[in-house]
Amino acid sequence: MNELPLYLDYCATTPCDPRVVEQMLPYFGNYFGNAASKDHHYGWMAKEAIEFAREQVAELIGARPQQVIFTSGATESINLALKGLVEGSGRKGNHIITTKVEHEAVLDSCRYLEQQGNTITYLEVNKEGDFSLEALERAIRPDTLAIAIMYANNETGVINPVKEIGAIAKKYQVLFMCDATQAVGKIPVDVQIDGIDLLCFSAHKIYGPKGVGALFISKKLRRTLVFKQQHGGAHEGGYRGGTLNTAGIVGFGRAATICSEEMEMEGARLQTLRNRFEASLLKNVTGLVVNGGTNRLPHVSNILLSGIDAEGLLLKVSKYLALSRGSACSGLTQQVSHVLTAMGLTKEEAHQTVRISLGRFTKMEDMLYAITILSDAIKEMLSEKRLNIVKSS
Amino acid sequence: MKEIKQILKAYEIARQKGQRVALATVVHVEGSSYRGPGARMLVNEDGTLTGAISGGCLEGDALRKALMAIVENKTLLTTYDTSDDDDAIFGMGLGCNGIIRVLIEPINHKDNANPIELLREAMRTRKASVIVTFFSLRDKWSQLQGTHLLIKNDSAVFKSGIFALPVDIFLKDIHKTFEQQYTCFVKYETSGISAENTTLTAIFEYLEPNVSLVIAGAGNDVFPLVNMAEILGWQITLVDGRPAYATTSRFPSCQIVVSDADKAFDNVLLDDRTAVVLMSHNYHYDKSLLKVLLSENYVPYIGMLGPKKKKDRILAELDEAGVLWQDEALIRLFSPIGLNIGAETPEEIALSIIAEIKAIFAKRESGFLRDYPGKIHSRNNQIINSRL
Repeated sequence: MNELPLYLDYCATTPCDPRVVEQMLPYFGNYFGNAASKDHHYGWMAKEAIEFAREQVAELIGARPQQVIFTSGATESINLALKGLVEGSGRKGNHIITTKVEHEAVLDSCRYLEQQGNTITYLEVNKEGDFSLEALERAIRPDTLAIAIMYANNETGVINPVKEIGAIAKKYQVLFMCDATQAVGKIPVDVQIDGIDLLCFSAHKIYGPKGVGALFISKKLRRTLVFKQQHGGAHEGGYRGGTLNTAGIVGFGRAATICSEEMEMEGARLQTLRNRFEASLLKNVTGLVVNGGTNRLPHVSNILLSGIDAEGLLLKVSKYLALSRGSACSGLTQQVSHVLTAMGLTKEEAHQTVRISLGRFTKMEDMLYAITILSDAIKEMLSEKRLNIVKSS
Repeated sequence: MKEIKQILKAYEIARQKGQRVALATVVHVEGSSYRGPGARMLVNEDGTLTGAISGGCLEGDALRKALMAIVENKTLLTTYDTSDDDDAIFGMGLGCNGIIRVLIEPINHKDNANPIELLREAMRTRKASVIVTFFSLRDKWSQLQGTHLLIKNDSAVFKSGIFALPVDIFLKDIHKTFEQQYTCFVKYETSGISAENTTLTAIFEYLEPNVSLVIAGAGNDVFPLVNMAEILGWQITLVDGRPAYATTSRFPSCQIVVSDADKAFDNVLLDDRTAVVLMSHNYHYDKSLLKVLLSENYVPYIGMLGPKKKKDRILAELDEAGVLWQDEALIRLFSPIGLNIGAETPEEIALSIIAEIKAIFAKRESGFLRDYPGKIHSRNNQIINSRL
C-alpha cells in the first residue's frame, strides 16, 4: 500500500473515529436486532442502544432526547423539515426566507417548494458572506412560515448570527429551521439558547458513520405541524417510516459524546493550526485572499489564489493532499460555486478558489507539510504561466 | 502509432523527473465510440495527459481514476456506459452510443518489462506485433489484469508483470490474430490454471508497423505533403538527386537520401506498409524509380504526380525497353495521383494524396461516408469463449 494523500477536506466528510467504530461493531454481530421488534431480546437490545444514542445526540445540541429523530442524513432532515412544515401548515402558498449561500439541500428543496406554489425570498450576502439582519426582518410577511438559514457555511466556514435570527423568528412568530451540518460538534450549538425550532445535522461530519442524520423538532411544534415525508411505519414517533440503522445510530451517539467532551479543546487547537496555515501561505505567496470575514468556523479556510486554476492545482497536488474547490457536490461538470459568486467573486475567481478544512486527526507537522506542498505548487504554476506569456509574446 | 510514440516520449520525461504515471487503454467497446480498442492515454501524477481515450468526454473522469490508481498502486478496469441518453451520472449527452471499457495501469518505472516498455518494443522494429492485455469483467480491481504480452511477427515474445498463466495457452489466438490482421477478444476461465479462479478477457491487439511514406522529390511543393504526413505520425523518407534541395535543414523530420535514380532505393526499406510518391518533377527520375517499383518491388501504393499522358508514355517506354512487370503491379500504381477532390494548390494536392494513401492502406473505397452502407469503423468487438 502506498502512502495516502494527507486529508484536509473535513468539511466534506470525516473519518470514523476508532472509538466510534469500536462502539458500532457489536451491532453488526450479536446485536443485529430490529429496534421495532417489540417481543424479543434482539429487538429490545437494539431499541435500548438507539435510545441511548438519542440521549447522546440530544445532549450535544442542548435538546431533549424525545425531540430528536434519526434520518439517513442531513439532506433528508432538511427535506423533511422544509417540505414537512409546508405540508403541515395546512394552507397553500407559504413564504419562506432563506439566503443565497445555503447548501444545495436547502436551495434545491426551496426551488421545489416554489414550483409547488410557495414563495421563497433569497437574501443577498455581502463580500464577507454575511446577510443583513435588517433585510431579514424586512422580508418577513404575514404569510411567512419559516426562516431557513444555516448555522455556518460549508464552503467558507462563515458563522451566521444564529441567536439574533432566533430572536427575530420569535418576535414575528415564524419558525426557524437551521441547517447546522457544519457547526454541530465543531462549535457550541444550543437549540434553546439559539431559539431554533428545527435543526438538521449528520453523523459523518462529526467522526461518525455515513448514512445517519438527525432532525431536532422543538416541542412547541406538534407532530401535525411537520408532515411525514417517508411513509412505511410509525417509526420515530410517526415522523419517519423505515427500519432504523442501529449500528449507524450507535456510532452517531458515540461520536456526539466525544464531540461534547472534546469540542472546545479541539476547536482551539485547530484554530491555531488554521491561522498559522493561512499566515504562512499568505507570506509565501503574494496576492492570496482569504474569503469570508473573521467570524468563521475554526477549522475552515477558503482561499482565492489569483491566477491559479484551482482544478489544475488540486490535480497536481492530489498525490500529496486531499483538498476541495468550492463545493464538492457539483460532480463532473465544472460548476461555479453559488456561495462565492453570491459573495461577489467573479466566475473566474470562483474557479481559482480552494477550500482547506482541518479536523481531529490533523497534526502540526501535517500543516507544515501542506504549506510547503501548496506554496511550491502555486509558485511553480505561476512561473509556468509567466513563461508561457513570455513565449507567446 | 503516433499516440504510442507520444506516450513513449512523455513517459521518458516523467521517468527522468521521477514522476509516477498510469497508462489508460481502451480494451473493449460495445456499440459506437469515437476511439476504439487500443486507444491509449498516459496520465502523469501532476495531472497532465498524453494521448486520448475518447473525444474528450471521458478524459476528465479517467484522469481522476488514474490518479487514484497511482496512489493505490493497483490496476483498475473502469466502464463508461454512454448507451443511455439519460445518463444520470455524467449528466450530459455524450452523443456516443456505446459501452467503453478502459484499463488503468499504474506503471512501475523500475520494471524493465512494464507495459510501456512493451509498447516501446512493439515500436522498435518495422514488424507487426500482437499486444495482449487482460481485463476482468467480474472484479474491476483484479490484479491479474494488465498489458502482459507482446509477440512480434518474428515470434519474439516479451512478458510483463506477474502473470501466472503460461504463454502457450494463448498461442492459438495469437496466431489467429496475426493471420486475420485485426484485433480480437477472447474470454478465458482460469480455474485449474491459476490460483485465482476467475474469468479474464484478453484483447489481442494487432499492431501494424507505422506507415512509411517515401517521397521522390524535394522541391517546395513537397512541404505540405511532409507536414500532413507528420501530423499523422507517418515515417517519412525523401529521395532526390539534388543535394541543394534534399537537406535536413529544409526537412528536419525526414530521413534524406541524395542519390541518382538508379541507386535511389538501394538503402530505402520498401515493405508492405510503405507508400511511394513520385513527384520529382523530373520525367527521367520518376521513370527510373517507377521501373524499380513495378518490376522489383511490391509496395502496396505507388503514386505518381502528372497527367495520364505522362503515365502512359512512361509505361510504353519501359515496355519498349523490355522491362517486365506483372499485371497486378499496375493495380498498385495511382497516376494521376490523389483522390478527386478538385485539388489545385500544393496544399490541396497533398491532402488528396494523403487521403488516397490512407484509403488504400485501410482497404476502403473512399467516397462519402453518408453514402456508405457499412459501419464507419471496421472494428470487431465480439468476445469469443475459450475452453481451456
